[in-house]
Amino acid sequence: MALSRAISESTWGYPAIGALHVLAIALFGGAVLISNFSTVQDALQLRKWKWFFFVVVMLTGILLFASNAVRYYDSVCFRAKLILLVLAAVNVLFFSRSRLRAWVSAALLATAIFASRGIAFF
Amino acid sequence: MFVVFTKESWLFPVIQSVHLIGLTILVGTIAIVDLHVLGFGIRRPSISTDLKSWTSAGLITMAITGPLLFWSDWQRYVHNPAFLAKMVLLAIAVLTHFAVRRKPSQHTRLAAVLSLLLWISVVLAGRAIADFDIRVV
Repeated sequence: MALSRAISESTWGYPAIGALHVLAIALFGGAVLISNFSTVQDALQLRKWKWFFFVVVMLTGILLFASNAVRYYDSVCFRAKLILLVLAAVNVLFFSRSRLRAWVSAALLATAIFASRGIAFF
Repeated sequence: MFVVFTKESWLFPVIQSVHLIGLTILVGTIAIVDLHVLGFGIRRPSISTDLKSWTSAGLITMAITGPLLFWSDWQRYVHNPAFLAKMVLLAIAVLTHFAVRRKPSQHTRLAAVLSLLLWISVVLAGRAIADFDIRVV
């Protein structure tokens, strides 16, 4: 709770973590996209980076959520975003590599981006 | 000036989302190529040419959605320090990108580091536009 107050009350906390979140999303999304659409070897070589970017996205995301947990919890778009991300995880965890899986992954992550923007606007 | 939509329209967040998807494709693939030049991630040299079409697709998406977002409320952006910083950084990043792309021999480790730093700064400045946004009522 002290952490969430520190983020929401500081001038730079929320903007800095938010900017880092967007940057990590771009790097993570790009790595996921190329891993899925390129060869298995490319995917294996990108793996470490993909996980690193994923950790940054998650950590910054959790911090942003903590800064105003009630507001996010109440947001329909935030809930939709979480569901889309769970579906994206299910897609890559339970289905084997294919062109279809790559497209489903890209579509789910793109829709998650729409939902994310929706949090701020609706 | 012909206004397609305003900041209050539902089109604004929709186009902003497309802008973010374009950003992911653009900066995500540029980062993979830069990391490759630095000896990280994907090792095969052909990756630079293989990702060109992805990077171009991202760049075209940005080049369409960016100006649309700008036109929706341009008076507000021209006074925003984060926006101005982003435009300067973007110009340098794009020039660097095409200079390196035309001559692959110029894609040295230094160019890769410069490219990564420039694009990271563009993204951070882009996000900061919202934080420096002072609504003139």
